[in-house]
Amino acid sequence: MFGKAVSYGLLWDVAVSDSVAESQRWVLSAMQKHGPELVTVLWRILGNEQDVCDAYQDTFLQLAHFEGGQKPDHVKAYIFRVASNVAISMLRRRMAEKSRLSRPASPVETVSSPVKELDSKYLQEALRRYIAQLPEHLRNVVTLRDLGEMSYAQVGRILGISSATARVYRCKAVQLLAVWMSEEQP
Amino acid sequence: MTNIKDSKCRQIRAWLHTAVSSRLGSEAGWLQGHVASCPRCRRRLASWGRVNLALSSIKAQPHRLDLLMRANTQAICVLKHSLREAPKAQVLKSILPQPKPLEKYGRYGHSIVNFAACATILILMKVGVFSSMDSFQTQGQKAIKQYYGRQIGQDLADEVFPA
Repeated sequence: MFGKAVSYGLLWDVAVSDSVAESQRWVLSAMQKHGPELVTVLWRILGNEQDVCDAYQDTFLQLAHFEGGQKPDHVKAYIFRVASNVAISMLRRRMAEKSRLSRPASPVETVSSPVKELDSKYLQEALRRYIAQLPEHLRNVVTLRDLGEMSYAQVGRILGISSATARVYRCKAVQLLAVWMSEEQP
Repeated sequence: MTNIKDSKCRQIRAWLHTAVSSRLGSEAGWLQGHVASCPRCRRRLASWGRVNLALSSIKAQPHRLDLLMRANTQAICVLKHSLREAPKAQVLKSILPQPKPLEKYGRYGHSIVNFAACATILILMKVGVFSSMDSFQTQGQKAIKQYYGRQIGQDLADEVFPA
């Protein structure tokens, strides 16, 4: 009797897990549809391949567990918002770690040989650092518009704002970035 | 009705943006003239340029071709077992980034335009545009012949414009 109950229980578990998996196939479809674009955006935010893989994994893990496995109304918006937040958190952590490690010695960098190359890397790092410091509403627009190369209409749809508002936010963000970058310049 | 109005508003906004950008953009002559004589604006413009340069530099930096494949593999590893075993998951684990259709077929743009032009000419010929033009020409010649007939006499007109 007990053995029968156990086997029915196992069958039930298998059936439930199969139906859950069947109902979650959309996660793979979302990965197929939005994956390439997402990888590009994450790469541009983070600039490090292992970090990109980690942020990508976190994003799809959160998507699969959204409200107990439910599909969000707007999958693309959800994915890009989550990915942006995850990536920015990673970037901030990385920056904090870097500043903690470089504090005791604080060596003065002397740029000698490929000046241009170093300057471009320095500019990229500075911009990433400042994008991470932007207020969330401005940062999201810059991330999607400038790093994701989406239209203002798409950005508006993803963030739930009008395209005109997205345009204004982008303008404010660039102004702030410009001020911060000019302050840093010696 | 509201939708039509909205789309018109949107169109006008886009046109306005383009028009304003061409007159108020950083390339506008009056702006360049001012910047040349104003150190504060010059600094501001330089810092905007710096932001744009950094953005372009970030966008221009390529990643390895297999990054998407690796990211998919890592993400699929943490999904449910049955999802991991799905045929689509196996495809995603070995997928490579594909260029967008516009990038892919962009090089055939000229050929497509030439083909479209040939097709348009053929269609025009088919619908008789050329034959209509021919009849216009004949009618025009007739009118000129009649005019000269009235002005200088039918005999001379027949000599100048033989049938």
